[in-house]
Amino acid sequence: MKILEYEAKKILGLHSIAVPDSYIVTNGSEPGFLPAVIKSQVPIGGRGKAGGIKVVTTATEFQQATKHIRTLPIKGFVPTTLLAETLIDIDRELYLSLLINKQHASIVLMAHRSGGIEVEDNKAEDFLRVTVDGKNSIQAGEKLAEYFDLPDQTFVLQDLVTNLYDCFIKNDVELLEINPLIYTTDHHLVAGDCKMILDDAASFRHPEWQFEAEKTEANFVTLNEQGTVATIANGAGLAMATVDAVVDAGLVPANFLDIGGGANEASVLAAFQKIMEYPNIQVIIINIFAGITRCDEIANAIIAAKSHIPDLPPLYIRLAGTNFEKAVQLLADQNIPTLATLADCVTAAQKDSV
Amino acid sequence: MIDQSLLTGKNVIVQGITGSHGSFHARAMKSSGTHVVAGTSPSKSGQLVDDIPVYTSITEIQKYFQVDISVIFVPPAHAKGAILEAITAKVPLVVCITEGIPIHDMLQIKQHLEKGSSVLIGPNCPGVLVPGRNKLGIIPAHLALPGSVGVVSRSGTLTYEVVDGLTRRGIGQKYVIGIGGDRIAGTSFIDCLELFQNDPAVDRIVMIGEIGGTSEIEAADYIKSSVTKPVYAYITGHSAPSGVQLGHAGAILGSADESASAKTDYLERCGAITASNITALIDSL
Repeated sequence: MKILEYEAKKILGLHSIAVPDSYIVTNGSEPGFLPAVIKSQVPIGGRGKAGGIKVVTTATEFQQATKHIRTLPIKGFVPTTLLAETLIDIDRELYLSLLINKQHASIVLMAHRSGGIEVEDNKAEDFLRVTVDGKNSIQAGEKLAEYFDLPDQTFVLQDLVTNLYDCFIKNDVELLEINPLIYTTDHHLVAGDCKMILDDAASFRHPEWQFEAEKTEANFVTLNEQGTVATIANGAGLAMATVDAVVDAGLVPANFLDIGGGANEASVLAAFQKIMEYPNIQVIIINIFAGITRCDEIANAIIAAKSHIPDLPPLYIRLAGTNFEKAVQLLADQNIPTLATLADCVTAAQKDSV
Repeated sequence: MIDQSLLTGKNVIVQGITGSHGSFHARAMKSSGTHVVAGTSPSKSGQLVDDIPVYTSITEIQKYFQVDISVIFVPPAHAKGAILEAITAKVPLVVCITEGIPIHDMLQIKQHLEKGSSVLIGPNCPGVLVPGRNKLGIIPAHLALPGSVGVVSRSGTLTYEVVDGLTRRGIGQKYVIGIGGDRIAGTSFIDCLELFQNDPAVDRIVMIGEIGGTSEIEAADYIKSSVTKPVYAYITGHSAPSGVQLGHAGAILGSADESASAKTDYLERCGAITASNITALIDSL
């Protein structure tokens, strides 16, 4: 889950990491202080270029800018929140991030002398990379000071690494990027912008997690609104394989859907209803291979969908695995046929799609 | 490294045996011939699941039985504790079925695995099936046929699909291993490829990968350098849109090299036989 800049900076503040003084601009409110930078809070980069960040010095400019930014879409996102920050006199813009190296199961600190919006243009090999484990913050801070050529900031950078690591661990962060990390003309290090991705899987131990971003729905993805074949499967791998088989047969899949391990009647019914919103669906392929799921529960859901949803297109159903015999019997009792393999379903769908 | 004796170990326990998944699958494991000797539950010690005794901890079970393998069904919030308990108790093979373990928990678990002697398969996986010998997890045993193919897969349900397809064609399997879809896992493709390469009873290998991550690329390099047996590979997600997460944690398409077609091409160049859909893969064997 990617959180917004102001949410991320609030977390940084709680871990004693310096962020600019700020206030949230509510609709129709007076400025908290001026001059200020007004920043659109959208979960996407390129805000400055798109006009989502403006410096204001007077109350009139403040009103004009906030009114404009509040309704300005940036790559499809319109902000619900505007952040106002104090102006900072920049000496240098640096780059600093913490991320998880999945291949080596370690946490890596990455830095670059030249941060800011063009950071991606830097050569990959020019980034400083240090594996951090919570015990080597002193050494990592020293390395940073040397790399940034800021020897008088060694203690500050050691503290920064300690605090960032602590923040990363305690908040179940997957990616923490401070870009730019601003070195001010009066020799302070301040987080100019912050991108933070938190691990959704850890939400059970973070009752404090209340963010604007909705938990991403990874299990239902529209591939093509105009597609003619809808798919329902269990397990991400099988769901993707079902879509691959549909495409290989020359048909156009509308969606990817993984009903997951805990599939029940309500969730399957909701899936059918979502699918019925596509305009051109001619067939629905249901491909379930049950391990932890139980086929009879899926069968009951299909029977319920048949009776709740009128004008359901032909269903080509393949069920296998746990409680499969029970499920086939349940469906047969309702005159709903099943097919033996995914290939049979795709072949049947081909015949219906002219 | 996984060796054959690890997967055919005799005494199996189930951590989280009194939960709905744990009890259902402990029974299924037992009825398919696996020697399930005991289970753990923090609060239901003294009970029986069918005739399998329940204890509070692995240490307690070890007073009565040698524990060769533990299969874990506890919920994500307690999974780290369960895995660390098994590592501390020096259980040789730990198979974790649980889906949704936080990535920071896996970082800690990996550190303990490096120091300890246990091998972890999973998490977020269907487990291991050695047809005719052991069912360690949730792969439906009736689908399988004992034989000489080694199957390794990142996807749970696709594993079943492959086993079912092979059995229908009369092609038996020596090992079926689901390594799980998470970004950080105990066992890699390479560990399994090494096992299959070294076991003379395996003559062909099936490998099922997914979009996202680079583990299939590393596996391809290993195939090129160290595997002489034929490898049949399918990477699921050819039609996946980039940048969109599909289903579970592992299957998010980041850079171009992580796409199904890039991985397929690379595997092909490294000597694997590839297919663009699962039916074609099964038919190619």
